[in-house]
Amino acid sequence: MSRMKRVYSWLDHRLQLGKPLLEMAEHPIPNRTASWWYVFGSAAFTLLMLQIVTGILLALVYVPSAGEAWNSLNFLNHQLTLGWFLRAMHGWGSNFMVAVVLIHMAQVFLFGAYKYPRELTWTLGVFLLLMTLGMAFTGQVMRFDQDAYWGLGIGASILSRVPVVGGSLVHMMLGGPIIAGATLSRFFTLHVFVIPGLMLAFTFLHVWMVLKLGINEWPMPGRVVRRSTYMAEYHELTEKDGRSFVPGGVWKDAVFSAAIIAAVAVCAVVFGPFGPGGQPDPTIIQTVPKPDFFFLWLYAVLSYLPPNLETPFLLIAPVLGIAALLGLPFYASEGEKSWHRRPIAILALTTIAVSWGVLTHLGTYTPWSPHMDAWSGGPAIPARFLRTASPVEREGAVVFQAKQCRNCHSIGGYGGQRGPALDDVATRLTGDQLIRQVLQGGGNMPAYGKNLSPAEVTALVSFLQTLHPANEPSAADAAQSVTGH
Amino acid sequence: MRNFLAAAALAAGCLLSGCGSHRLRMNSEQPVTRPDQMVSFESLYGKNCSACHGSSGQGGPALDLNNPVLQQLLDDSSLRRAIQDGVAGTLMPAFGESAGGMLTDAQVDALVKGMRARWATAGTMRTAAQMPPETTTLIGNASHGEQLYQMDCRSCHGGARQQVTDPTYLALVSDPALRTILIAGRPDLGHPDWQTVAQGHAASDQDVTDVVAYLASLRSMTPGQPYAAQPQGEQPTATEAAANQPTTAKRKQSTGQATESFKTEK
Ligand code: HEC
Ligand code: HEC
Ligand code: HEC
Repeated sequence: MSRMKRVYSWLDHRLQLGKPLLEMAEHPIPNRTASWWYVFGSAAFTLLMLQIVTGILLALVYVPSAGEAWNSLNFLNHQLTLGWFLRAMHGWGSNFMVAVVLIHMAQVFLFGAYKYPRELTWTLGVFLLLMTLGMAFTGQVMRFDQDAYWGLGIGASILSRVPVVGGSLVHMMLGGPIIAGATLSRFFTLHVFVIPGLMLAFTFLHVWMVLKLGINEWPMPGRVVRRSTYMAEYHELTEKDGRSFVPGGVWKDAVFSAAIIAAVAVCAVVFGPFGPGGQPDPTIIQTVPKPDFFFLWLYAVLSYLPPNLETPFLLIAPVLGIAALLGLPFYASEGEKSWHRRPIAILALTTIAVSWGVLTHLGTYTPWSPHMDAWSGGPAIPARFLRTASPVEREGAVVFQAKQCRNCHSIGGYGGQRGPALDDVATRLTGDQLIRQVLQGGGNMPAYGKNLSPAEVTALVSFLQTLHPANEPSAADAAQSVTGH
Repeated sequence: MRNFLAAAALAAGCLLSGCGSHRLRMNSEQPVTRPDQMVSFESLYGKNCSACHGSSGQGGPALDLNNPVLQQLLDDSSLRRAIQDGVAGTLMPAFGESAGGMLTDAQVDALVKGMRARWATAGTMRTAAQMPPETTTLIGNASHGEQLYQMDCRSCHGGARQQVTDPTYLALVSDPALRTILIAGRPDLGHPDWQTVAQGHAASDQDVTDVVAYLASLRSMTPGQPYAAQPQGEQPTATEAAANQPTTAKRKQSTGQATESFKTEK
């Protein structure tokens, strides 16, 4: 015992860490803050540690070269004992981390914790969020499978829209004009050295400030933040109604972090690792690339936007969004913290959360890109439409398939969902309207005028006119019944 | 209450992440095969053909391939050619890599073998000798064809909705494709094959050729105008030909020409 103590004091005499650490552990926190609401920050930290450990283990096997990456992941999945589990932990850890960081941010916003004197903590947090997303994106590229390939392609095409410097930006991102070995090296460096390094530094500062400035007190309506008085008020609060961080608050953090790790492990075991999907090869175009879930909303937004708004949206919205996040604590550094007195903040948060949720849902459950195989594969048009069809109508159904209408339109529950399902289109549109729609397109539908022969148009439209429920007549042109045309 | 909130938040976190993937665990599966190395008939057919030809080779909008007579009529090389290069004058697309499609030679072979194994039965072999061949050297006689049509076909095709003489239909189906239908029949639709289509006797090569020539003569250069045909140079009575009772052939077109002019762009 006394020897241990001697070693300790020898070390501490030189390191000088004992006292600050003890101070940190004992620093008082407001009683009400020792709440389950405050566990997300530490959970994000735990997940970061998990990612670092699993990431280092993965890097032992992973080969960051265009030719070998895909194979080394398959080796991990299929040959190495528990290799799949390691990949799954890292992949699910990443998903959880994005989710937890977002929840953490929402909670901090809700509790007004970004106000004086914690503005810089919030600012660093915004950068940490961006870096987390950056890790998620670059991590997906590490898979170097088809999803990664097309994800990069989409990223590059977004970048290329930047006026003037777009081309050079793309070149810089891909390490050349095309997605190749140099691209992977670049993203590997980002994913393994640059972003994690920055992230650790930022995390250290972020946590340091949280500990030094004290954790945010439970917001009470009427307890207004003022720069001149806040610090004194806070100290009074922690003295009167506080407890020490260890063990008063930390045990909840520990329990929640453990639960999160357990959840990651359960997902990893149940759902397994992500991919790698098909090989990244531009000549394979039979693929429906899908971004990871936190980018799905973007997918849905883009598919709803009229094409001419896409570029402005892609280039301006992120800048505005980040600027708003960064500016928030400086714009509202004083005032009420309680959500009971911040209706606009609550409204904004709910709006964002709900629209994000809805868009993500849409992006998940709706194949927004056309269904590339529906024109030739999958079930045929249901028999109830074909059984009584005339030869022309049946041939129209072939035109419908051959001209790939079904890639965007479903019939009988099968087909793309880019455009409306056409099972009962005849009850909505008359023959003339159908002809117009096919020839001129409109909305997000291409105009087929030049790509169909007159016979094909006639057959197609006569087929479309049969698409109505048996008990419901097709739409009639009022003018036609009057003129008898 | 707080505990409950935390649990709810955790559950939400899991759910959010859960949205990300429906993939099942990978460790038991084989690495993904490249699409161009897939040679299983089921997946090739289900991905490339079933929407037009029906999941089981029947009941789709296009020709039923699950038809022993058809499988007997077309030899391996015609099947392969149809898949690789498509069928000119119809909407059957070209799938071969050489023609800009996605299927390798090995995959086309897999399709041909798979169709044979599933849809050709030995039972029809006995009549093979008398079956009109897939292609013919005979010259069609359209007016004889019309007589045959009136005799053999009108009983079933006389109704307003059974018009195979509709120029719009004919513009989309080439003569060889008509010939295939007439010989092999369309059992899934109830159209008889060459053995039973004519009353009392099997149709001969000449009969089939004549009926095809008759149908070809009804084609028009500008079929299926959505509105009454606008005069564009000299023009046959396209819309009249669609009337219930076709009159004698007004125009005689050689099979080849007709096929050429109605080639669909791919
Ligand atoms: C790239 C995807 C795409 C393709 C391919 C496509 N469509 Fe559309 N289609 C759409 C969209 C999107 C709409 C909705 C247009 C709008 O917003 O006005 C639409 C609308 C329609 C409508 C009107 C439906 C209604 O209820 O109002 C019809 C009919 C239609 N399409 C037929 C066709 C036919 C026939 C083809 C093939 C020749 C085809 N479409 C090919 C995307 C597509
Ligand atoms: C876009 C619709 C479409 C798709 C997809 C399609 N076909 Fe066809 N196919 C047709 C049409 C139309 C015909 C012409 C026959 C007819 O209906 O008269 C045809 C004819 C054929 C024929 C007969 C050729 C002949 O010489 O008469 C074969 C064999 C055939 N298809 C095989 C296939 C196979 C195998 C696939 C999948 C690789 C396929 N088809 C995919 C539309 C399609
Ligand atoms: C026993 C009745 C019957 C007879 C006889 C018959 N058919 Fe058919 N045929 C049908 C039916 C039923 C269909 C499918 C429904 C439809 O297309 O009208 C069909 C379909 C067709 C088709 C294909 C239509 C498509 O959608 O691809 C052609 C071509 C055809 N018949 C031509 C003929 C010719 C030519 C004759 C005379 C040699 C003939 N049929 C005799 C019943 C018959």
